[in-house]
Amino acid sequence: MVSKVVIAALAVIAGVGGTVILFWALNKVAEAFPPKAQERIKPYLFILPAFLAISLYLIYPALNTVVYSFANARSTSFVGLSNYRELLQSPSFQSTLFNTLLWIVVVPVATIVVGLLVATLADRLGPRGEKSAKTLIFLPMAISAVGAGTIWRFVYASNPPGQQQVGLLNAVVVAVGGEPISWLQLSEGRLNSFLLMAILLWVQAGFAMVLLSAAIKGVPVDTLEAARIDGAGEGKVFLRIVVPQIRGTIITVFITVLIGVMKTFDIVYVMTNGNFNTNIIAVDFYNQLFTNGNTGYAAAIVVMLMVAIIPIMVYQVRQFRVQEDQR
Amino acid sequence: MRLTRVARVGAIVALLSMATTACVSESGAGANGEAGGNDNTSDSIEIMYGFTGPGSDKFQASLADFAETEGIDIQFSPTPDFNSLINTRVQGNDLPDIAIFPQPGVMASIASTGALADLSEVVDMADLEENVVSGALAAGAVEGTQYAVPLMINVKSVVFYPKPAWESAGYEAPATLDELDTLTKDIAATGTTPWCLGLESGAATGWPATDWLENLLLAQQGVATYDQWVQHEIPFDDPVVIEAAGTMEELLLTEGHVNGGRSAIAANNFATAANPMFEEAPGCFMYRQGNFVAEEGGFPAEVVSDLDTRVGIFPMPGLTPEDKPVLGGGDLAALFSGDNEAAQKVLQFITADGFGDEWAQQSGFISPRSDFDPANYPNEVTAQIAQLAYDSTAFVFDGSDQMPGAVGSGSFWREMTAWVSGTQELPATLANIEASWPAS
Repeated sequence: MVSKVVIAALAVIAGVGGTVILFWALNKVAEAFPPKAQERIKPYLFILPAFLAISLYLIYPALNTVVYSFANARSTSFVGLSNYRELLQSPSFQSTLFNTLLWIVVVPVATIVVGLLVATLADRLGPRGEKSAKTLIFLPMAISAVGAGTIWRFVYASNPPGQQQVGLLNAVVVAVGGEPISWLQLSEGRLNSFLLMAILLWVQAGFAMVLLSAAIKGVPVDTLEAARIDGAGEGKVFLRIVVPQIRGTIITVFITVLIGVMKTFDIVYVMTNGNFNTNIIAVDFYNQLFTNGNTGYAAAIVVMLMVAIIPIMVYQVRQFRVQEDQR
Repeated sequence: MRLTRVARVGAIVALLSMATTACVSESGAGANGEAGGNDNTSDSIEIMYGFTGPGSDKFQASLADFAETEGIDIQFSPTPDFNSLINTRVQGNDLPDIAIFPQPGVMASIASTGALADLSEVVDMADLEENVVSGALAAGAVEGTQYAVPLMINVKSVVFYPKPAWESAGYEAPATLDELDTLTKDIAATGTTPWCLGLESGAATGWPATDWLENLLLAQQGVATYDQWVQHEIPFDDPVVIEAAGTMEELLLTEGHVNGGRSAIAANNFATAANPMFEEAPGCFMYRQGNFVAEEGGFPAEVVSDLDTRVGIFPMPGLTPEDKPVLGGGDLAALFSGDNEAAQKVLQFITADGFGDEWAQQSGFISPRSDFDPANYPNEVTAQIAQLAYDSTAFVFDGSDQMPGAVGSGSFWREMTAWVSGTQELPATLANIEASWPAS
């Protein structure tokens, strides 16, 4: 135990001290140049360590993955586009893509709606009521996705008819006289996927609510009063006055939740492991890589996910630039 | 302006991608011939295995005294996600010294990379061939070379019944499959569902159904055909498999044959599915499962503490009374550090006569050696189950454990769940599994 503490302390000292020494050395190197060149070179030199680290741990693996996606299962020879072709032609992967699309379309929108709803309604409560309501909605963010999955396991759990129902939903169903339903296995209309989305929504709603609540409070009261004087009802006030003015925040929340949804893995893995038609891309990638040991398929799946996320990232960077320009 | 920036970025990316030209890996990286992939020769070894909880504690206790006497420092690494982790460690060349595989299929694919050591010179093969249940020993061999030896076995083709209720109803253990069929129908005729069945097991949902199919195929066709099926020498949707599935359908999926109905099977947790058996009016009379379900976490606590009076067993029958095929599983110990004397000694110790006495007494351990003293088993039921393995005419390893991961831990489980819960027809199910078999 003591040795671990000593090692940790040494690591911190070496890490911090080493970085200081590194930048001091880089500075010395920059000073070796004539002053004019120095000003031009210094920024690049200082960025160099970070850039090398990113190249090694981010860019190189990404490129390697793209290369592996054109290779076979054990990455020993190239197979061209056949990984992509086989995946896109297999019905199970098409189902996975469709599910992921469903998640992407439904969850961010639902999160924003719920966030807006809670933010607006909590605004109307007194200060203490508002605080406790917001805290309650925000609490699930503190739990890991696996923890959330475990909690909701007990909501969706199902026992055979005749035995006592442990799951909350089924206890209600049986109490009103029905037969217990195995919720997570109902893939008609992708109902089980929606039930899993509810879990992610439960976790993320707090995040959306906090940001949207701050934005709503930032809307100038004069505009609201002016609208009310003109005879607008509450609904119109909300939709025509408040929402357009918090557009920027809504988009930020949307994009953040969207990226989070595309990466969702734990919830589906823990609840169903992608069975019963609930499979999504990240779970499929994990299973292809670790259970099936098929590096080619796993790389191809991840490349497709990366390609799908790029437009969103481009949009987000552009939005960020626009906002910076507006400052 | 934008164009030059894009061009610059593009140039950097192109430069970096040239750095990855040596991009496909050579096959057999880390191969080291007979000596295994780990060259650790010290007395400090790491044993990695896939069972946690009380079983893990008992395993560690069973090695504690030996390690101390021999001066070996053992670092234990239990993990619930063994299959993923061992693959990661092999690929990352961070090998343990000894690994205990719950699935021979995984062991075989790692052996093919050359990372495991040949055990024929390490353990006393003559002794093992004579005394260890032959199917368990054979499961550790890959193309004639012995890469792993069994640490312990479990028996999966056991049918449990509630002893008091069974005897008062006057039922008798069937000696053939046909008799089992008749018994099923007789019990169903009295209005009670004869079988309990549960497939739910989290991410592994569906594996009990695969055990059923394997058991029936083994009983109906014998070891040779079973092995052909497992090794993919006959297609997965071969007529013999269809026949076995048909028997399964008749026994289990007919209306009134399973407690809770067909639609509840897939959501019923496998460990607790048999519990209706032990109620005043039994909800079912038979539960086919592995011996590990007769412990805490499975059967109700008051049953587990009084196993011999509450529970009876009979083996899943074969076609004729003399036929005693047993489907089982086990944990196989393999060696990565072929030159490590300490690790070799540990392997010799766990395969030798006398290992596991205390562990067996605490329950949860069945020795793969037929000369193991049955008095060590904590109750009659366990001793009887162990005897099934020793008396068997053929002990074969669980099929899905031997198949490649994509099938054995993937499509086989999933498709069987879909078929049993009624959302998919049998031909499509078997065809899907056949299609998912990786082309090697």
